[in-house]
Amino acid sequence: MKKQSIASALVATVALCGAGAAQAQAAGDVMVKLGWNKIMPKVRSSDLTAPSLPDSKIDIKSASALFFTATYMITDDISVEALGGLPYKHDIVGAGAVAGVGKIGSIHQISPTVLLQYRFLAADGPFRPYVGAGPTFAKFYGSKGSAALTAVTNPGGPGTIIGGDTEWGGTIEAGANYKIDKHWFVDAAILKTFINTKATLSTGQSTSARLNPVSINASIGYTF
Amino acid sequence: MKKFHVLTTALAAAAFLAGCGGNEAGDQSPRVAFTQMVNFGDSLSDVGSYDVGAVALSGGGHFSINGVGATGLLYINWTEFLAATLQLTQPCAAETGLDTIEAVVGVPPVPPTFHDTGATPCLSYAQGGSRVTLQPGPGNAALFDPTDPSTFGNAIGALTIPVHDQIQNYLTNVSPTFSPTALVTVLAGANDMFIQVATFQAEVAAGEDPTTAGGAAVLAMTTAADELAADVNTMILANGATHVVVVNIPDASLTPSAISSGASGQALVKQLVQAFNTELATKLQAGPSLLLVDAFSASEDQVTNMAQYGLTNVTTQVCTSSSSLLCTKNTLIAAVAPAASAAPATAANTYEYADSVHPTPYGYRLLAELVGEQMAIKGWL
Repeated sequence: MKKQSIASALVATVALCGAGAAQAQAAGDVMVKLGWNKIMPKVRSSDLTAPSLPDSKIDIKSASALFFTATYMITDDISVEALGGLPYKHDIVGAGAVAGVGKIGSIHQISPTVLLQYRFLAADGPFRPYVGAGPTFAKFYGSKGSAALTAVTNPGGPGTIIGGDTEWGGTIEAGANYKIDKHWFVDAAILKTFINTKATLSTGQSTSARLNPVSINASIGYTF
Repeated sequence: MKKFHVLTTALAAAAFLAGCGGNEAGDQSPRVAFTQMVNFGDSLSDVGSYDVGAVALSGGGHFSINGVGATGLLYINWTEFLAATLQLTQPCAAETGLDTIEAVVGVPPVPPTFHDTGATPCLSYAQGGSRVTLQPGPGNAALFDPTDPSTFGNAIGALTIPVHDQIQNYLTNVSPTFSPTALVTVLAGANDMFIQVATFQAEVAAGEDPTTAGGAAVLAMTTAADELAADVNTMILANGATHVVVVNIPDASLTPSAISSGASGQALVKQLVQAFNTELATKLQAGPSLLLVDAFSASEDQVTNMAQYGLTNVTTQVCTSSSSLLCTKNTLIAAVAPAASAAPATAANTYEYADSVHPTPYGYRLLAELVGEQMAIKGWL
């Protein structure tokens, strides 16, 4: 239901504002984008705390999801962009001493980000590369454990649950967009987020992980 | 203003998306849908072969701290932890009995009885004292000598059915084949080592050259490993088993028993265990149906990194009884005894050893975690 309401809100907003004057990314313009984003965590986790097999670590696999942005041009070159999207579902696999056990669980994550951007080249030109930086808020939730995770943390006991977490981090990005016509444009960007998290198991052990994901995305945008 | 509305709507949408869905344990079924577990071996896998007669009277039966929940853990033996992990019914002893010497113990013997057929068959053939092929094993009444007090413990009369005979009993009583959805576990060899150490000591005491006696002991262990590997290959794997876990002998030189025998005693134990494990690994028929678990290395790691395993003591036995077969939470050293008689002895779970050679329930749980980890890597769990 929440997902639907967001989608309908966006659609409604687009319809409402669709009759705006056709300026190309100049001061006062608002753009929206819709696309596909792939998050590739570059995990370095600490050893799982005792009691556990020594050198037990986790790795978090890549995930992709629909994302959207809304951008407001403060000047012809400087803009502020809000980035949100559907939740990402990442597989969690064993690493270190437990490498090879395969998937030990999964976790959902949502990481809305606000970016202050600087756009190069002419405001009315077809091609505008940009860079940006800003804060990211990540919420980890909706985790699922597995028989393998329980077997190595609490054999025979109740299923082990992976605790989620909320964290703040920072993101930098580089991207570019290309105008198709007065309203529509295509956009691609690469983002690097600096963020840590801590996963705590219901059996008491925890591991701190530096996620620092790289994200790549492609989207189609509309300028009002 | 309209443009601002777009922005605020998107921000609100992003905020909306956060925070849906709770954390769950997820699907706890193993990747292989096992239907039964069959256990062969010695005291380390015994779940109550001797839980009759004199042993039952003392509340014993497991080679650890006896009594369900005695230490607050749900299970005692590693095969019990593993069965629960695999969502199988708990293992029970396939054959029970005691050849108790009544004149010594004061309790009559209990004739051997099989429980491995019927609607709910018990398929844990592992028995305390069992060797790979030969009788008698430690605890067997045949080793009782009325002139030697050090042998009096054998009056309890453990059956010590050798592993070879255990497998044959399964094939004869239950089925000539193993189910492809059965998990078969094999853990044996330590009792052959104990017998060889005793033989070595007797020979050296009688004037035999230690090098010669040691060489004979190593050869006997190698032979036992050859025989166990042959039994696994030709009686289990060749008869249809596709999920066979063989656990090698833990480093018994680190047990309180070996430590009390001094550095030379520890060295002999380690040499014999290593001779067995090396030969076993060489002769077992490797393949997708066989998983050899290295409990030897894991047991050494538990001593080296004991805090990481949640252990505080890896050298002291917590049971005050001579054998953990008779140990309960009421017969524990003061350091781990429960404060109230109704309370579980949770402190015992930070110790590795129950008696001089057998683990506490927590020590068994660590073995179950190791086997579980290796089964997950193998794709079975």
